[in-house]
Amino acid sequence: MLKKTVMAFVSLWAAAAYAQGSQELQGLEQQLNSLGDRIQRLQDLTEVEIVQDAYGYYVDKAQWHYLADLFAPDATLEIGGKGVFLGRARVFEYMHVGLGPIGPRDGLLIDHQQFQCLPTINPDGVTAAVRCIAFVMSSGGWGHNYYEDKFVKINGVWQFQKLHGPFNMYSGYKVGWLDNTILNTYPEKWPPWPDLPPTVIYLTFPNYYIEPYHYPNPVTGRPMPPPSPRAGGEAFGRPPASQ
Amino acid sequence: MAVTSKALLALNLMLGLSLCSASFARDEAARLAALKSRVQAMAQETACVEAITKIQTLGRAFGYYTDKGYFGEAADLFTEEGSFQWGVDGIYRGKAHIRELLTRHGGGSMTDGPGLPFGRLNLRMQLQPVVTVAADGNSAHARWREWGLLGEYKKSATWGDAIIEDDYVKQNEVWKIAARRYYLNFEAPYQGGWAALKAVSGDWRSPVAKEFPPDAPVPQQYQPFPALFVPPYDYAGTLAAIQSRAPFDSPQRPDDALGRLEALADAKELQLARTHSVRAIENLQAMYGYYIDKGQWHKAASLFSRDGTYESGQSGVYIGTAHVERALSLMGPPGLAPGQLNNYVMVQPIINVSDDNRTAKARWRSDVQLARDGHGRWGGGVYENEYVNDKGTWKFSKLHFYVTFWGDYDQGWAAKPYPMDPPSTTNPPDRPPTLVYQSFPKLQIVPYHYNNPVSGRPTPGEHE
Repeated sequence: MLKKTVMAFVSLWAAAAYAQGSQELQGLEQQLNSLGDRIQRLQDLTEVEIVQDAYGYYVDKAQWHYLADLFAPDATLEIGGKGVFLGRARVFEYMHVGLGPIGPRDGLLIDHQQFQCLPTINPDGVTAAVRCIAFVMSSGGWGHNYYEDKFVKINGVWQFQKLHGPFNMYSGYKVGWLDNTILNTYPEKWPPWPDLPPTVIYLTFPNYYIEPYHYPNPVTGRPMPPPSPRAGGEAFGRPPASQ
Repeated sequence: MAVTSKALLALNLMLGLSLCSASFARDEAARLAALKSRVQAMAQETACVEAITKIQTLGRAFGYYTDKGYFGEAADLFTEEGSFQWGVDGIYRGKAHIRELLTRHGGGSMTDGPGLPFGRLNLRMQLQPVVTVAADGNSAHARWREWGLLGEYKKSATWGDAIIEDDYVKQNEVWKIAARRYYLNFEAPYQGGWAALKAVSGDWRSPVAKEFPPDAPVPQQYQPFPALFVPPYDYAGTLAAIQSRAPFDSPQRPDDALGRLEALADAKELQLARTHSVRAIENLQAMYGYYIDKGQWHKAASLFSRDGTYESGQSGVYIGTAHVERALSLMGPPGLAPGQLNNYVMVQPIINVSDDNRTAKARWRSDVQLARDGHGRWGGGVYENEYVNDKGTWKFSKLHFYVTFWGDYDQGWAAKPYPMDPPSTTNPPDRPPTLVYQSFPKLQIVPYHYNNPVSGRPTPGEHE
């Protein structure tokens, strides 16, 4: 009788311990999986930035085939004021017809440096965005442009879905941006012609244009306020009396 | 009483009889406890790597705000009581004062909202972060480089150069800037550039400080370029910034419920270690750049593994930390010569960590701003580097800087390019150059260590 009671007690204890153990295992598995999701996001951030940075190195040396490889088959490209090009083949054409033959040409520097990349992975885990600066040092002088690009993950590989590169400032070398600045491009400036007109019309420096941020303020979480309607005007910031 | 002791005896007997299974249970309990503490450590490490990326985001977002006159948004990246120390001007406290400080320096408006007037250029590129997160995970530091293109159309064009040292805190799960120390090195007119700058004498506070006095003076005075000043390193004395996890071998796990979880943890732990290593290598390369900037050859060489190699342009290959230091010394005396500028900006990383987290390769770019004997020079080039995980601390096993161009500041690289220096005869390399090539106006495709990241095609270093 006593033995039976003890046996029952022990087996109850063992069963309880087992149940507790398997519950603990389940909890640990959940923790590991949710950590795994966060770790994957961290890896995604690096992989997206690599695609953006790889793009810059390919532009340096006019490696247009390899550059076009970075785009999804139905990706779009819009740079400066040239309008929108649809699909990977037209990305290649924009570069090859518009900018020059394949491969570096001695005497022609076109370093297209990628600075200050700010990637964001969306909650779906398969789309992302990057804001980046292209700081250009070329035979002609300086360039400072923004990229606000979108990426998509297809079969586990991040690639460009939309490349959008509004120009900010281009200038010659001799006096820099003092007054030797170059106007934005436009669809008919040089071939090839775009598939769609520009999505936004704006002027480069000395004028003011801000390409919207794809992210909210990282501290307040608030979306970007619009720029002042007076921004880019000479009257901006002056008291009414002095206008 | 007797009953109790009998029962105890029976219990002891039973436990004794099942000794084997008890030891198994004890083993299982120990494995479970070990797994639990591993998961906890992984949670901490994940939060640490997330913190690094969030702090990188803060710094870069700051740059994009100031570029376009969004000074209120930039000030909102600080804590309520946050502070901004500007050059030797003083310390400004609180979001309102920080906003006004940035607005006055950037040419924005306190009344008209975000934006800049016609012709105002305020590009302040935020580059080369070294981020260190404190062990408790609630505070952090970073060093940044600001490269400025400033001015007013038809009135002025100016280069800016500054080092930023930041403290950050996490408040309600949000990282914020708590204190920023902005060490202006120079604002140089485009005409003549930094090489033409004369030493400042006396009070060199900015006009902004005179119109808009700070809340407190700076704790330390210094002189800008051409004087040589090394802004204090927040990471002096700690290697935390360049550490991730030491290489580890995952044991074979038993094929039971717990074993399968252990194997899952092994896989996630390795993936986490590799993402952490990417950030450690970013920090390492940036740290190297900051030491090179200031002629700290010994500190820079200490970032190499014992048999690490160094090669720059056509210098040839130097092997081992002592030879690396000698090679670096070819750039100038320790701490640099008076009036010497040696800025190597570290940007555009493509870092690939090996599957086992033991080694890594990376492509980087440097723009170079030099001044020697009153002459300015531009440079640019690409690194293809290799790294080794030395018991958890990342080091250079190979640094190779391929020069794209050297050019005269006044005339530009296109009008007046310079060739690379041949191997030194006074301090010759251990091996000749691994690749003989010429810099601009010749162009050389630097071999890629990686295949195309999307198509997987190998990219030829020669030509398509």
